[in-house]
Amino acid sequence: MNRRLLGLTIAVCLALACREREPAPRVSLSPPPPTAAPTPLPELGYIDESQMGTPVDGGTLRRRLSGEPATLNAVLQSTLPEQQVLQYVSRNLLDFDSRGQLVAGLAESFETSPDGREYRFTLRPEAVWEDGSPVTAADAVFTIHRIHDPKIPSPVFKQLFEDLVSVEATGPRRFVARFREPYAYRAMSFVFPLLPERRYAGKNFLKAAENRQPFSDGPYRIVSWKAQESIELERNSRYWAARGHFDRVLFRILPEEPVAYNAMMSRDLDETQIDTEGKERFQSSGPAGSCCRLVEYYNLDYNYISLNNRSPFFSDARVRRALTMLLDRGKIVRSIFRGSARVISGPWAPDSPAYDPTVAPLPFDPAQAAALLEAAGWRDTNGNGTRDRGGKEFEFDLLVSAGTTTGREIDEMLSTELARVGVTARVRPLEWASFIERIDAGDFEAASLAWSASDANPDPYPFWHSSQWPPQGLNNEFYKNPEADRLMEEARREADEKKRVAIYHRLHTIFRDDAPAIFVTNSSQKYLISRRVRGLVTSFLGWQGIWPGPIGWWASDGAPPAPAR
Amino acid sequence: MTRYVASRLLLALPTLFGIVVLVFLLLHLAPGSPVTAAGGESGRRFSQKAAQEMQRLYGLDRPLPERFAKWISRVVRLDFGESFVDHRPVLERIDEALPYTLLLNGLALLLTLAIAVPMGVLSGGRPEGALDTAAGALLFALYSLPAFWAALLLQSLFSVKLHWLPLYGVASDTAPAGWEGLGDRLAHLALPLVCLTYGSLAFFARLVRASVADVRQADYVIAARARGLSRRQALWRHAFRNALLPLITVLGLVLPGLLSGSVIIEKIFAWPGLGRLYFDSILARDYPVILALSLLGAVATLLLTLAADIAYAAADPRVRDGMVP
Repeated sequence: MNRRLLGLTIAVCLALACREREPAPRVSLSPPPPTAAPTPLPELGYIDESQMGTPVDGGTLRRRLSGEPATLNAVLQSTLPEQQVLQYVSRNLLDFDSRGQLVAGLAESFETSPDGREYRFTLRPEAVWEDGSPVTAADAVFTIHRIHDPKIPSPVFKQLFEDLVSVEATGPRRFVARFREPYAYRAMSFVFPLLPERRYAGKNFLKAAENRQPFSDGPYRIVSWKAQESIELERNSRYWAARGHFDRVLFRILPEEPVAYNAMMSRDLDETQIDTEGKERFQSSGPAGSCCRLVEYYNLDYNYISLNNRSPFFSDARVRRALTMLLDRGKIVRSIFRGSARVISGPWAPDSPAYDPTVAPLPFDPAQAAALLEAAGWRDTNGNGTRDRGGKEFEFDLLVSAGTTTGREIDEMLSTELARVGVTARVRPLEWASFIERIDAGDFEAASLAWSASDANPDPYPFWHSSQWPPQGLNNEFYKNPEADRLMEEARREADEKKRVAIYHRLHTIFRDDAPAIFVTNSSQKYLISRRVRGLVTSFLGWQGIWPGPIGWWASDGAPPAPAR
Repeated sequence: MTRYVASRLLLALPTLFGIVVLVFLLLHLAPGSPVTAAGGESGRRFSQKAAQEMQRLYGLDRPLPERFAKWISRVVRLDFGESFVDHRPVLERIDEALPYTLLLNGLALLLTLAIAVPMGVLSGGRPEGALDTAAGALLFALYSLPAFWAALLLQSLFSVKLHWLPLYGVASDTAPAGWEGLGDRLAHLALPLVCLTYGSLAFFARLVRASVADVRQADYVIAARARGLSRRQALWRHAFRNALLPLITVLGLVLPGLLSGSVIIEKIFAWPGLGRLYFDSILARDYPVILALSLLGAVATLLLTLAADIAYAAADPRVRDGMVP
């Protein structure tokens, strides 16, 4: 139930955008210096073990994939398992570090033109593909062209280059990309991997053998891919930067979470994500649980209930506010997430700099909600127990993807409270493809969704600006507020990060009061990790969103324990 | 006999066509499309502009009859096209998964019959006896165990606690190929096999029991006893042989099921079979793969029912002479 969006975010762009107005600024991107442990988040520990202990090389890391990748072509990737594998074999042009700062990847530096429309990149001279040939500007141009090509489905990156005017190589290691408009978060568009042009020459891009056997410019390369079973990687001997600590990385394809849990318990796996139920099971597992530790952190994902702002029920902000006040989000945190979640009051997670912690969520207040419904003209005039207005009963379907229990539980709670104030919400679970088709078509009144932000860009424009109504964009709520529109436009042009954050904080209040959707909670991400695995660094961008992420992990024993089988 | 076979074959063709049309329509009229399903729940959303471009890419913007004609014209040349998901030939994907499903389901069916037939004959030989009552209770208990729950429980016990059997997969990461790895592969088969078998025991055992119970009082069984055969001989040589006919008919219907793997068991034991391929393809609206697998299933069903009919006709002259419908 994700609406995976090209997010944006956070504290980025300090050194970058702030300088965009100066003539030809040059930004050097060196690997981040070792950092002192950052301040822990209040609720859950932020882990940074990158400077702890002396890493040992060797052994095999065994991770879990929840599904089979459809492709390992970095441009075509769209799912989490694909991202998890590609992180090891495909370096990005730029990367995020664990705190959302842009750092060097394949590019060593870039500069922007004074008008902010042009980006000139220089690639690292030492960066090479797995056959030793250099990563070139031609590869970068080729990759951007493929992303931009309307005939190529590249859901992750396409939107980043919609505004592209041209891209060309200006030397073997230099290229320049031009865009129609300056954009405060443009530099984040360059967090994308490159493909080797030569290997794809003369081949059908969608069917090339390289899509299953990607040509690596990262620390590992693919050794084998057994359909529906596993994908195995080994170190790329030609890799040009600090090598990974594990000799091999084995991804097991295990669709069922309880099975992954069993695999952790029998020490057949080193890492898996678990849900709240899995966490409770682990905490009461006794000696069997000595295999692993529980790692829990907040990322930028959140749950929300999308409201169709064009529907006669939800075109009035008072009604939308009333619905928000009828959802007991404190109880959701306690009963559904067992305390590991935070109530949110706008379209960002609390760790996003756009989020203004002083904007308190609307309270759970059925009496005030009922008064708001009255004020909006929804009264039970015919005495049938359901409110109505102008002859229309307040009855609607609350859609939810059948695959999620959390969304279902949230919907049931809302539906129960609504029934008490005379509004009928029927919870309708739909299979995913049918569900999302109705959301995309705007054919819904209300629907439970999960937002999944994958990078540090907090720009709400693509999802809440009125120019982004379907079919053009992804404002599926059909939300429109001229003041909010104006602020969103202003923020996109604002190069100064502090000022931009101030604009977002003003927007946050508008979002809370307009309640274009019911913003519910930001819940923690939970993982079980073998005790032998060290060097973890958690981040609100998740392990896949940062560099080096899991590539920095190592095993205290340097070799896998004797196989249990 | 030849005429009978020919007429049945001719009848099978329109049936097959009907199935194909129905599956094609159901698939394309169902809500959702390869574009909305792209990447599943962990995938990213397209704007509708991008979605329309993808529709064109897959030819989904063409009218339905045109798409059907195109598909059929390729299928008769045995070209099933390419998967929308990974752009590989559909046959390659099926070929990858088919052996695993055939192996697991085939062994499960053999094991089921090896247990269910003697159980059924012995129960049917003395209905309502102590053995029959105990077997009945046991079978129904097994039948009502949900596969998902039982599989996880068996895993926890035999793999996590006792370390006797592997958790999942087809073979260990380090297992040698060929005969030396046979033991390892058999160990991997054990749990999925048990899970697939225990549930279908009841069906076959009760079927055999009912048929044997039916014929055990027949004249020829009593005559056999009168000729001095032991109860055991009369039961197995005479009662069981005649009770075998309904079992053969049912097998004709069950065998095509060998091609449709069990989604739940394959997912829990990470078994790379057809069930998972079919299920994932449906979720992803991977039309070419779904159509090919449906066609495969339809052809297998028709052929095996036909084979059962012919076997029946060969065994029973009344059928081929048209005396019994």
